[in-house]
Amino acid sequence: MTLLKTSAGCLRSARLLLAATAISVLTQFSPVMAQDPIPGGTLHLPAPYSSALKSLDPHITYESQDMAVSKAFHRALYTWNSAENRPTLDLATAVETSADGKTFTYKLRDNAYFHNGRKMTADDLIWSYTRIMDPQKGYPGSPMISEIVGAEDYAAGKATSISGLKKIDDFTLEITFKNYLEPGTLLFEAVTAILPKEEADKPEFLSHPVGLGPFRFVEHVEGSRVVGEKFDKYYKPGQPYADRVEFTITDEYSTLDVAFRAGELDATVLSGGAYAAYKADPDLSKGLIEVPELFTRHMGMNVQKAPFDDVRVRQAINYAVDRDIIIRKLLKDKAFKATGWLPMTSVAFDKDRAPYAYDPEKAKQLLKEAGYGNGFEFEAMVTDGESTLGVLQAMTPFLAAVGITAKPKVVESGVLLDAINAGEAMAWFRSNGTGPDPVGALRCFDSRVSRSACNRSGYADPKFDAMIDAASSDPDPKRRIELAKEADGYIFEQAPVWFHNYNKAVVATQPWVHGVDSNVTEAAILEVDQIWLDENAPGRQ
Amino acid sequence: MKLLQLLRPNLFVGGLILVIMVFVALFAPLIATHDPVLDANLIYAEEPPGGAFLMGTDEQGRDIFSRVIYGARISLTIGLVVQLMNTCIGVTLGLSAGYFGGWWDEFVQGLTNLMLSIPTVVFALALMAVLGPGVTSLLIALGMTDWAYSCRISRAQVLSQKSRSYVQAAQTMGYGRFHIMFRELLPNIAGPLVVIATMGIGSAIMAEASLSFLGLGVVPPAPSWGSMLSHAREQLMVSPWIAIFPGAALFLTVLGFNLLGDGLRDLIDPQGKARRA
Amino acid sequence: MLMVIARRLMQALLTVAVVVTLVFLLFSVIPGSFVTSLVGEKRDIDPRVMARIEEQLHLNDPLPERFGRYVADLARGDLGSSFSTRRPVIDMLESRIVASFRLACAAILFAVAIGLPLGFIAAARPGSWIDMAAMMGAVSGLSVPGFWFGLLAMYFFSLQLGWLPTFGYGQGGLRHLVLPALTLGIGPMALLARTTRAAVLEVRGADFIRTARSKGMSETRIVTRHLARNAFVLVLTTIGLQFGSMLGGSVVIESLFAWPGVGSLLIQSVSLRDIPAVQGCILVIVLFFLLINTLVDIAYMLIDPRIRYR
Repeated sequence: MTLLKTSAGCLRSARLLLAATAISVLTQFSPVMAQDPIPGGTLHLPAPYSSALKSLDPHITYESQDMAVSKAFHRALYTWNSAENRPTLDLATAVETSADGKTFTYKLRDNAYFHNGRKMTADDLIWSYTRIMDPQKGYPGSPMISEIVGAEDYAAGKATSISGLKKIDDFTLEITFKNYLEPGTLLFEAVTAILPKEEADKPEFLSHPVGLGPFRFVEHVEGSRVVGEKFDKYYKPGQPYADRVEFTITDEYSTLDVAFRAGELDATVLSGGAYAAYKADPDLSKGLIEVPELFTRHMGMNVQKAPFDDVRVRQAINYAVDRDIIIRKLLKDKAFKATGWLPMTSVAFDKDRAPYAYDPEKAKQLLKEAGYGNGFEFEAMVTDGESTLGVLQAMTPFLAAVGITAKPKVVESGVLLDAINAGEAMAWFRSNGTGPDPVGALRCFDSRVSRSACNRSGYADPKFDAMIDAASSDPDPKRRIELAKEADGYIFEQAPVWFHNYNKAVVATQPWVHGVDSNVTEAAILEVDQIWLDENAPGRQ
Repeated sequence: MKLLQLLRPNLFVGGLILVIMVFVALFAPLIATHDPVLDANLIYAEEPPGGAFLMGTDEQGRDIFSRVIYGARISLTIGLVVQLMNTCIGVTLGLSAGYFGGWWDEFVQGLTNLMLSIPTVVFALALMAVLGPGVTSLLIALGMTDWAYSCRISRAQVLSQKSRSYVQAAQTMGYGRFHIMFRELLPNIAGPLVVIATMGIGSAIMAEASLSFLGLGVVPPAPSWGSMLSHAREQLMVSPWIAIFPGAALFLTVLGFNLLGDGLRDLIDPQGKARRA
Repeated sequence: MLMVIARRLMQALLTVAVVVTLVFLLFSVIPGSFVTSLVGEKRDIDPRVMARIEEQLHLNDPLPERFGRYVADLARGDLGSSFSTRRPVIDMLESRIVASFRLACAAILFAVAIGLPLGFIAAARPGSWIDMAAMMGAVSGLSVPGFWFGLLAMYFFSLQLGWLPTFGYGQGGLRHLVLPALTLGIGPMALLARTTRAAVLEVRGADFIRTARSKGMSETRIVTRHLARNAFVLVLTTIGLQFGSMLGGSVVIESLFAWPGVGSLLIQSVSLRDIPAVQGCILVIVLFFLLINTLVDIAYMLIDPRIRYR
């Protein structure tokens, strides 16, 4: 009797066990149900790269940390869509392109409110863009707006308004551009944010911004933090998910690192050293987001001065230095080797192009052909920093191996800039923004562009100018990209700079944070209206 | 009694430290194991102390031990030159102010007060920003901003010695004013001045390190202890030895000068004339 | 006494005037300008924009004009607007002064709390090993480079042990104040210990003499009291002077700890060539120093009436 009962019991237990196992196995392999965003809590985010904010007025400043904060309080016509890696409409719901491809008609949102309660209309866009072109002020967004027909005339005082901005009705705006371009690439950054006229003119605006963003300004402690709270009338229903956002302002990577480890920050950008440490840690490595940013680090060369006027010398330098070891050891792998002026995440990037190999023999041969068989000496002006002087020092032994002596001259950035603009500096280190518009990025080698604008090398090649003109005047967007790719290849071959790397930004996120995007235009600018915290977040207490 | 007890430790330890430092600075090429600037191989970047690299390597793969050794040269040279400049300026001004009196005295006193109101680091910062980084600018900025104290002391000393018999005698004998100031008075007030000068070298070295730390002093890749510390900040979590050794060297050197100064003060100026101004 | 105070104030005003002029002249010959400093590492600024900014900020006006405008504004209490943030410098300095002041107070409190007792203990048994140890400690405290000490403290207490935050102001709480105050206060602490020791020894010396002579010598009592007062005054003066120079002396430490005070704003503004901000910071530092100095002098005069008529 007992035996039977026991065996029946055994069977039952076995069945239960089997069922339990089956269920656990099934849930393991069943498709992961995307958790729904949970509203509430406070986001703790970084405003890195500087010890203090320059300005809370988004038109005034082009600094990364200011733009990261402005993402919470302000919005522009377009926004950078990290998922699709291109700018998409934000303050408009639809856009129509004219037959000639230069006029765009925008259907604006009718549910966008400023933090002071007023609804946004087409007048606000016109006012904001006109403000940016104010000739009395030097707003960094003016080069973008000047692409609109009539903007330059307005700035020169020849017109009282920008003719290319036409209001059709309260929620329809027509913008006409001078050339063929993708308007999204010009109008997505905070420097072109839409502001309310009645607030922006007040002096308090500099310390109490009012905008269209998902969060409303609460307080700013100089050099320390900025706080915002959820704006109920934000035009995306249910968003922002969090109730508050707090930005910690600091330029010290160690502060961010320690705060992140202590759980005081929900996300942070990492330095090279921290990146190496986090990668090696089993827990910390889980939340890492690697962002190939649209910046190209390079050593610029003055192509109008010997010996850099000889393309063989410039190519020799590109062959002589071992980029891999510099990236691996000095930059802790926090960069991608450069294979052209345009970076990996650019639409016109050529992924099939091979980088300059590490080939000191070839370098020596090229130098001999150019008449510098015995090598030469040059002076590189650098500021004191890891990516400037540090890289030069790392390059020095490699250059020495092919007979080139690089002498560092450490100066302050203002002095360096003056020397470059005057055409006196031989070589310098810089990280140029190279996107999202590929033709705009390549203009840095257009002979008609001045040194102080972007063409620091003084590169002048009519063949290249023609390629750029072809790329910017073709009405077909796909063809424009192809031509840009070709132009990039040409520049790569001509090597007006020593191509170093594309910046790899690394964002570390806590396990309780969701919705952090990977913004290739600037990794520190997080889309705050889509970030949410789950139950485990300390920011919920 | 107390004098003898204090004499030996301060003077002895301070003197010993400095003798070692000077020795190291003089014979740096023989003591260092690598070239402090050129021997940079990324393969050995950020190695901990041990083996070929007694104090480890920095982020460029340079040997820290060799850089610390050569750094002694930079610090000691700059410290000595700067203090020499300051002392010359201060003593000249102070002596003449005390001896001549009148409007010159008022002027020098006003100038001294002015110099004392501006913190040295701030003034040097401003000057360095104008002059640009580099050793020459550093010498100018530091050598011309820290003379106020020695000026005050020399002036006070001259005032108290002016009425002494040897001065009266020299005046009666018809010796020139500069002769009296520099050949008669100066040797008699040298005591407290030597003390100040010695400790002043310590603070000059510290000032140079501070400026280099802020990126405004000795220009990298030259191995200044201050700039080594500044670059060590970024690697502190991972490679703390980059910060420990240069800082320890700086600390010991300044300590040596301070101890020596203390010992000298107990020896030469037990009444603390150097303190009262 | 009021005459003396008035005279001091006149001197102070003159000093401020000279400093302000000096700084202005200095920064007008500085290489590189605000506009060139705008071109950061990452983004290019269009030269047309740069030209407009130059115009807007009157950077190219002749020197006498700019100076005249500056002095006129200063007379009205207007410190100008920062080139960088376009906000009035006074507004920017407000929170910074508070932060620096908190740091200075915490540092001086630490210095007094440790330095004074240390000096007393050392003076209690002069020549003993306690005395030697205390004084060695004091000399070390004077010799240690602040930023090195700060870095090491950071490494041990924050990065390794995790007891304290590494940098920053945080929410303004005490935890963030500890390391910077410690680092800033160690030099003054050492100096105070030495000064206290010397002062106490002097008084005791006189005491000794007094008891060595016969009783009832009122003259020596006066001498002792005078010495005690002198000693107290010396210690007070040292505390005052150290406190007064802390705003300027904290420049490096504020930079190290990312403490949002006047010192770190100064360094930032110098590299940005933000001249109004630089001048504002230096003005605050010098004024603070002069203010504390004058207060110390007044206290000096109140305590020792013999000094009043100098």
